[in-house]
Amino acid sequence: MTMENTTPARSLRDRMLDWLEQRVNLSELFSFLTHFLLLTVPLDTRKPLRELLRDLDRTALPAYATGRQLLGVLMALLFGLEAVTGLLLAFYYRPTPDAAHASTLSIVRDLPLGGLIHQLHAWGALLLVVVVGLRVVRLFWDGLHQAPRELSWVAAVFLLWVALQFDFTGRLLPWDANGYWSVVRGLEVIYGVPVIGPVLAFFVGGHTMSEDLLTRFYVLHVGLLPLLWLVGVYFTVATLRRVGLGSIAQMKPGSSTTTTLRRHRYDLGILLMLSFAVLATLAVLVPFRFSGAADPYTTPPDALPPWHLLGASALMQATPVPMWLTGGLVLLLGLAILTLPWWAARLGERFPAQRLRLAGAVTLGLWLALSVAGLFVGRS
Amino acid sequence: MNARIVAALGRPFLVAALLFGAATVRAASGSSAQPAMRSVVAGRCGSCHPAERAQHANSVHAGEEVRCVSCHGGDDRALDERSAHGAGFRGRISKAQEPQLCASCHSNESRMHAYDLPVDQLALYQLSGHGRRLAQGDTKVAVCSDCHGAHEIRRSDDPASSVFAANIPRTCGKCHGDEALMKSRRLPNAYALYETSVHAKQLHDKGNLGAPTCVSCHGTHGATPPQVGDIDKVCGRCHSAERRWYQAGPHREGMLAKGLAECSSCHRAHDVMPAETARLATQCIDCHAKDSAEARVGVKLDEQYRAAAAAVEKADERIAEAEDVPLRTDDYRSRMEVARTYLREALTAGHAVDVEMMATYAEKAHTVGDQVESEIEEKLGNIRLERILLIVFWFYVLATVHFLRRARDRAPRATE
Repeated sequence: MTMENTTPARSLRDRMLDWLEQRVNLSELFSFLTHFLLLTVPLDTRKPLRELLRDLDRTALPAYATGRQLLGVLMALLFGLEAVTGLLLAFYYRPTPDAAHASTLSIVRDLPLGGLIHQLHAWGALLLVVVVGLRVVRLFWDGLHQAPRELSWVAAVFLLWVALQFDFTGRLLPWDANGYWSVVRGLEVIYGVPVIGPVLAFFVGGHTMSEDLLTRFYVLHVGLLPLLWLVGVYFTVATLRRVGLGSIAQMKPGSSTTTTLRRHRYDLGILLMLSFAVLATLAVLVPFRFSGAADPYTTPPDALPPWHLLGASALMQATPVPMWLTGGLVLLLGLAILTLPWWAARLGERFPAQRLRLAGAVTLGLWLALSVAGLFVGRS
Repeated sequence: MNARIVAALGRPFLVAALLFGAATVRAASGSSAQPAMRSVVAGRCGSCHPAERAQHANSVHAGEEVRCVSCHGGDDRALDERSAHGAGFRGRISKAQEPQLCASCHSNESRMHAYDLPVDQLALYQLSGHGRRLAQGDTKVAVCSDCHGAHEIRRSDDPASSVFAANIPRTCGKCHGDEALMKSRRLPNAYALYETSVHAKQLHDKGNLGAPTCVSCHGTHGATPPQVGDIDKVCGRCHSAERRWYQAGPHREGMLAKGLAECSSCHRAHDVMPAETARLATQCIDCHAKDSAEARVGVKLDEQYRAAAAAVEKADERIAEAEDVPLRTDDYRSRMEVARTYLREALTAGHAVDVEMMATYAEKAHTVGDQVESEIEEKLGNIRLERILLIVFWFYVLATVHFLRRARDRAPRATE
């Protein structure tokens, strides 16, 4: 402890913090940031920041990075990675149909590390959707949708929806043949959903694929969706701060489920290193291939909707019943998942948790089977 | 009373008959743009010769006041056959008379000047194989109407015309595709042979109206086969570079001395074959001995060309590979265009049957291909380096993770 004040770097840092602390309340700033972090202890913003952090270092907190909250932590890390790589890509990307493909190609081909950043962004996006999806599954499996955690469930489903929108809008941006046609096939499915489809078509400018769609998708991808994501994260954290984590009851000082902020920071560092290394490995060994510029007049014969829409596509486009019926089914399923905490509570005694799990597993299995079917029937 | 009824009933009949009459006149004049003018020109001959009248209505002559009587004589305003076929009536035009009859207008400069048409057709025709035979009294030869048609003569740029570029082989083929007639003249069935040629493929399959037809080599009115010594000039009108290289080589003198046809000895005359590069090695033994020095030159030319073409193809494959990565390949693509131009020129230079001359171009194409390939290979090698770097990176990651774990374990545990 005494060594802390002796190194020159430490003393410089202390002096700079002192200087800042006299001019702005850093603890207040930190307290604001914790609205997006999972800190359950109250913060006394009258204390200077260093004192606050020293106290925090000693308090116990759940070991998120190694416990069952791992998926939530990964979700945050991957989103951070997407934000950083996305920002770097945005420096050179030009969102017009004429320039989109050429500028993406030049990022990938001509800029130093441009190809790696592009691959990290693409692989990170895929893993983000998978992680957010698995998080919803884990909340469902552990029954963490029951009162008083309804909001946390709604926020998780909402985050999954936003992640899928990120994926869908991002596909169009390179304006390459694969991305373009998978969006076209995806929109065919989405426009077929009653109520949602027509409303969405109105907001993106009509049922037909137009050049303006690229601008709309770009604004959604870099502007609106990140904001919605932060709203989702805020509600996740805010409700958990109020009602506590699912595993908080088992929290015991000194056990493996409990840690300190200081030790937690090391765990986060390890997780960050490992996830980055995995992404970099995927990016180098299994790179996403870049196809030629999109040509709206030539439909490739094997154009498929995005993988997460394959199930809906199979259900809506390959069944011999009207599309509004199957589309309505998809819509009802979505609404049922979103409102699960309320109707599951009403089922009560007659429908115990085990049976609910079984029903959920069957639904997920059916959906996966439909997705595989979509691989074959989705081809035009 | 009765008369009035008949008149009342008769009026609509009269109107219908008039309408019907008008419709027949229209139908007879065909789908022409200027029916009124034609009906005047055709006179009354069509009343007995409706088929000829309809054909004439479609002809270029119909619009230019060339009437039936202009060629056949007689009176087209007469009301009966005897006076129509009366004074000055020539009837059917015989083959021997025909060239002179057509020339009475077409060799008249003061009449043809306004149409910007040449007037040397008769003079040329008299020089042609057809014309010379006709002069000898052979009437089984082509005269004007055999190619242009008699009553339905159309402009040569009219796709329905028998002398439109795409229709010329069939028009000549009416006689030159007649097996019995050609046999009697000891001539080949040139039409059947032409239809298998690379030229016919261009004309019919690709719709290339610039492709050579019969008249491109034999001429039109002065049609006559090009003689040995002239063949390379005729082919060289289109294949000028090939002719230049051919003249630079030893074949020109040798073949002239032996009276061998120039281009067609290798490429054939009517059934001109596509220029397959494989024939570089095999064609020579048609004239030269199999193990002669000349045949070996052909094999050598083929080897040179093949090596250069393989280098170009390999470089193209590497470029496609680099584009998949993606790497920038614009520069390589333009250099490959240069290589392909050399390769094409090498084939042309092959007509000099000189290994040195061919090598000038084939080696250039080979060098460009090799250079592009090795440069791309180097760039692709950098990508393989990434995989090796990845292994190093994992060592770094695992080491860092190890140190972070140790630092974490040293940090104090929660106290409360």
